[in-house]
Amino acid sequence: MAILVNDKTRVLIQGITGKEGSKVCLQMKNYATRVLAGVTPGKGGQEVHGVPVYNTVAQALENHPGINTSLISVPNFASFGAMKEAIESKIALINVFTEHVPIADTAKAIALAKQNGVRIVGPSSMGIISPGIGKVGQIGGEDPRGIFLRGSVGVISKSGGMASEVSWILTKNGIGQSTVVGIGGDVLVGSSFADLMEEFEKDEQTKAVIIFGEIGGTYEEEAADFIKSGKFTKKVVAFISGLFAQTLPQGTKLGHAGAIVYGEKGSYKSKIESLKEAGVTIAKTPDEIPSLLKFPS
Amino acid sequence: MLLYEFEGKQLFKNCGINVPASQLLESPDEEIVIKPPLVLKAQVLSGKRAQAGGIVFDQNANLFGKVINGEKVEKVLVEERIEITREYYLSFSYSTETRGPVMTFGQGGSGVEEKRVKSFPIDTAHPEGVKALPARKLALQAGHLRGVGLPEQLVETGKQLWEVFIKYDCELAEINPLVVDKNGKVWALDSKVILDDDGDFRREIKFPERNLFGRPPTENEIEARIIDEGDHRGTAGSVYWDLDGDIAVIAAGGGGSIVNMDALLAFGGKPANYTEHSGNPPREKLEKLTKIVLSKPDLKGCWFVGGTANFTDIYETLMGFVEGLREIKPKPIYPIVIRRGGPRDKEAFAALKEIGKKEGFNFYIYGRETPMTSTAKIMMELAYGNISKR
Repeated sequence: MAILVNDKTRVLIQGITGKEGSKVCLQMKNYATRVLAGVTPGKGGQEVHGVPVYNTVAQALENHPGINTSLISVPNFASFGAMKEAIESKIALINVFTEHVPIADTAKAIALAKQNGVRIVGPSSMGIISPGIGKVGQIGGEDPRGIFLRGSVGVISKSGGMASEVSWILTKNGIGQSTVVGIGGDVLVGSSFADLMEEFEKDEQTKAVIIFGEIGGTYEEEAADFIKSGKFTKKVVAFISGLFAQTLPQGTKLGHAGAIVYGEKGSYKSKIESLKEAGVTIAKTPDEIPSLLKFPS
Repeated sequence: MLLYEFEGKQLFKNCGINVPASQLLESPDEEIVIKPPLVLKAQVLSGKRAQAGGIVFDQNANLFGKVINGEKVEKVLVEERIEITREYYLSFSYSTETRGPVMTFGQGGSGVEEKRVKSFPIDTAHPEGVKALPARKLALQAGHLRGVGLPEQLVETGKQLWEVFIKYDCELAEINPLVVDKNGKVWALDSKVILDDDGDFRREIKFPERNLFGRPPTENEIEARIIDEGDHRGTAGSVYWDLDGDIAVIAAGGGGSIVNMDALLAFGGKPANYTEHSGNPPREKLEKLTKIVLSKPDLKGCWFVGGTANFTDIYETLMGFVEGLREIKPKPIYPIVIRRGGPRDKEAFAALKEIGKKEGFNFYIYGRETPMTSTAKIMMELAYGNISKR
């Protein structure tokens, strides 16, 4: 069945008339994802790759009540407004592709989403793909078929590039994926590893999960606690990057906004230790992940 | 961006927080006009400044030119001295545990890590708005600090600091110590403010660039950061640090770049720089970045590395790399290892092979079939000869 993106997924693209918005629209349609409508304020009435454009989310929903997923691809200064509109319209899954969203805006959107009972994935999310079913966002680019393969391993990654790279390594070794999710590398994320593991636990198609984490924040530790609490019972293999960054002075920013370490908190050591304690298998390189996935056959 | 104490205090003042009368000295010749008793404070970005001799009470002392935790003192803040009766710690920051802002309050002073402080999540979606919340939480926490009355002004400072935190898009707004003097008046004696760079576009106040390595930015670092200015198509060079090694690195992707740096170090490689490009930058950006990365003398190799891209145009970015490469004098004869995958990669590799042969570049080209991190080892062997002993 996969998680988040399935055959019932009906998508709205906020920012559909933009360069990335229109590109991703075509990519998703080519991957048999049903894109029902798009929104760009002031551009209502236009069409993008055959998809009707509306001025507001409310108008799009009025005309396409089946929409249950929104992809947000708008400039960062407009991202809070776009998220708020989608949340208040109670769209169940909101995938935020926009990068460089001010942390204050993300915090407000996360709180609002919680209040309204909807899920945010992102910001800075490369997207979500359930191979063979559909995709939301840029993940896999124009030709996901060459990278992803339908199967039973869930992938959750802070890095969009590494989500694809890890999936490709699995596919190369004949291991398919149920759903691959880029959660984004920001300090605050709408959906954490643990949030999605909860979904993967319920998903029958998924037999094991790979988490691709990096230094900074506490989402890896939270995932470890989630496993320790007994709420996740499937096999987990984790890869954590950022050992290199630890050799640099504290507070130095590299890569993702969330990949920042102050002292012990969020360090490589803290993550590896807590994951190991939870019984997670640690991969030293992305390439050894396939050999570490042992399925109870 | 981490602010200096005097910069943070300016933001505090703007929101009504009580700070001591002060004067910023930019040279040792400036006359001090603040009346004694005084305190002189070196303006450096590192913490634990007091222990390193960066805070003195002798008004004739000269802090200029002194090196505090590796940072040379170029500015000194002179302040009237406040008589402290009680010290608190107060800050607002974001917590990945509660995924929202938190207020932290408790006993202050240096070594706050070991003192009693408590964090309270702040619900930004609260219908009453957040304005009233910090005050209530402050009062609550103060009750936990036995024998301590809570001046009204302390609660007021909580509200004002929250205003600083939101108004200026901060990741951290911290006062430590926040003190009460013998007249019951509340003062912010120090400031630590980290601005959220993603909020730059809407912040009214701009601050000059600074460097966290405790040294001024290098020419390469300054040049690299200009590449993205005013051009939002992908990023290249916004993150660039000069390092001491001899392997030039052009890495792709915010996540993949770190994975590859980890791999290079694991194989004993010494990177000459750290840089990344991501999104879908146009070829001019890669050309500029390549020229900067390869401008360093005595390089032993160049590693252009990335995973399997989702939407980066591999042909465009690699052709930008080649255009930069062509301008390097003398012409690079060291090995150039390229590992990349993604849109238009086959086209890019065909063109590279042709260019390598025709123009005499030492290209070693790998696509998505070769594990990304394994090319770190290939780079090492080509650059340093047989390194199998590690």
